[in-house]
Amino acid sequence: MIPPRLGHVNLGLGVGLRTAHFPYLLAHWPAVDWFEIISENFIDSRGRPRYVLDQLAERYPIVMHGVSLSIGSTDPLNFDYLTRLKRLADAIGPRWISDHLCWTGVLGLNAHDLLPVPFNDETLRHVVERIRVVQDFLGRRLVLENPSSYVTFANSTMSEWEFLSRMAEEADCGLLLDVNNVYVSSVNHDFDPEEYIDTMPHARVVQCHLAGHTDCVTHLIDTHDNHVVPRVWELYRRAHRLTGGMSTLLEWDASIPPFPVVHAEVLKARQHMDATLEPAGDRDGAWSKSVSGPELSAVPHPLHLIGREVQ
Amino acid sequence: MNDEPAGPGKGDSASLSSLQRWMQAVIMHPDGVMAGTESEGARQHLDVSPGQLETVVGRSRNLTSDERLEIYHNAYFSRLLECLRNIYPMVAKTLGEEAFDALAIGYLHSYPSGSYTLDRLGDNFARYLHESRPDLDDSGEPTETWPDFLIDLARLEWNIGEVFDGPGVEGQTTLGAEQLLGMDANRWPEVRLTPAPCLRLLSFRFPVNDYFTSLRDVDEDAEPPALPGPAESWLALSRRDFVVRRHALERAQHRLLTSLAGGQTIGAAIGELASTTSVDFDRLAEELRDWFHTWTAAGFFTGLGDPL
Repeated sequence: MIPPRLGHVNLGLGVGLRTAHFPYLLAHWPAVDWFEIISENFIDSRGRPRYVLDQLAERYPIVMHGVSLSIGSTDPLNFDYLTRLKRLADAIGPRWISDHLCWTGVLGLNAHDLLPVPFNDETLRHVVERIRVVQDFLGRRLVLENPSSYVTFANSTMSEWEFLSRMAEEADCGLLLDVNNVYVSSVNHDFDPEEYIDTMPHARVVQCHLAGHTDCVTHLIDTHDNHVVPRVWELYRRAHRLTGGMSTLLEWDASIPPFPVVHAEVLKARQHMDATLEPAGDRDGAWSKSVSGPELSAVPHPLHLIGREVQ
Repeated sequence: MNDEPAGPGKGDSASLSSLQRWMQAVIMHPDGVMAGTESEGARQHLDVSPGQLETVVGRSRNLTSDERLEIYHNAYFSRLLECLRNIYPMVAKTLGEEAFDALAIGYLHSYPSGSYTLDRLGDNFARYLHESRPDLDDSGEPTETWPDFLIDLARLEWNIGEVFDGPGVEGQTTLGAEQLLGMDANRWPEVRLTPAPCLRLLSFRFPVNDYFTSLRDVDEDAEPPALPGPAESWLALSRRDFVVRRHALERAQHRLLTSLAGGQTIGAAIGELASTTSVDFDRLAEELRDWFHTWTAAGFFTGLGDPL
């Protein structure tokens, strides 16, 4: 019998740590339940980013969330990267380490994107084996997130949710359920997001993500630049009920508003945690940003470069 | 892993590898998905024509296969161009958005990222500016100065990035002026100074630091200032309170600091400077006092090194 959240504590409602909020955080020490960092922004830092992280790690639970593990790539695993990741984990003591079910590049290159994999037995065997190697190296279970995606492959033989379920069971890893990504992909790939969430192995869902996206009319793009839309809150409400509660985190990566706005957004999750309450519905408004078609300004997450400070 | 071309949808052990190599070649192609699909770089992995894309990537209710792949192509260039604009904001401002983006696309094609971090994305940019300069004559000699100016400016911005997130001296005591100037001058021939790890000493063919300052003060929509003509300049970069500080130097100051940071004793560094400049020695002695005051206040040195 697997315990809920693989035995991890429910950290509550957290916020993705972004440099734009550094001054506010150090000045106000807001009552946030926890922070999630982008691992790559800190594993080599010896300047302000690492200084701020060390300060925060003394006061808040921290989770490390990466974008460059490339667990689905057919390139060899990058043990230099993994060594640095482990070194940071040893230093700051994250509650868990997560990344994405994706590949970021092959032939030694990095597209700095979360590229999708075909869902078939070959990919499953490949990914499961690599998760096991990474988990052995890190000495802990890995937690993997479902990314938003914009293509599907002709040689997929199973659904994304079946793949994730089998992957998590066979590799004995955790899952980070990005509810917004489920919704974005469901629109892009014409599947039922409720079925996705209903059939996840709920006890393996350690954490969830919430974020805003951009509606390009013909498809959605996971831009992390807006409020969470009502439909995603509905899915969150469903996931929360089925999992029995999971650590919840809001990501806001572009057009980042002041910290209190971001924090207030994740605190809305409280309205969706009690199954006896009516859905918040339109109270949140139709926040999704719309554009008339595919455009360059709608850039999918991730974009993580810390700006330089120079006098 | 074998590198044999694999057919679309083929279920052998190489299909995931081939699919990924193919997709990478398609979405990273600077001329778009159709050109990428037809490129040798893609077809060596999956030999599919643009008309056969659906045998690899399915269509959705609203988008065709190539339109879906185009999202990744657009994202790749948009994301990395934005990063390069952030790493080289002054080069970007100088060139203007259109020219900078064209340059950056060429750069990404020549030097695609191979790192887990975007911080390394711009590491070869100055080299690419040199390699791609458009002003070479038939004998390969430059005919314009502005490419050299851009290379200098890019070098400055790259170094700012290195200093910003590299090792620093925050939380440490640095060498004070009293400690240095209170020392018996007879010890100078045997004492070395330990440079701060964030100290960078740079020399340029153009006054890029002054240009950097004036360009930064220009409104977002205003024309950038005129490019300065060639004139050697020298600069020290350091970091205080996690902010990169720029310190303009004179040639002699740069020479002395370079000697000191290179491990020469104070006496040897001063002696070398005195022997290679026409400056009056008494005047130099006076200036040294001011220089050391300024440099210790800026935290250029962390302490006195061991004598030989």
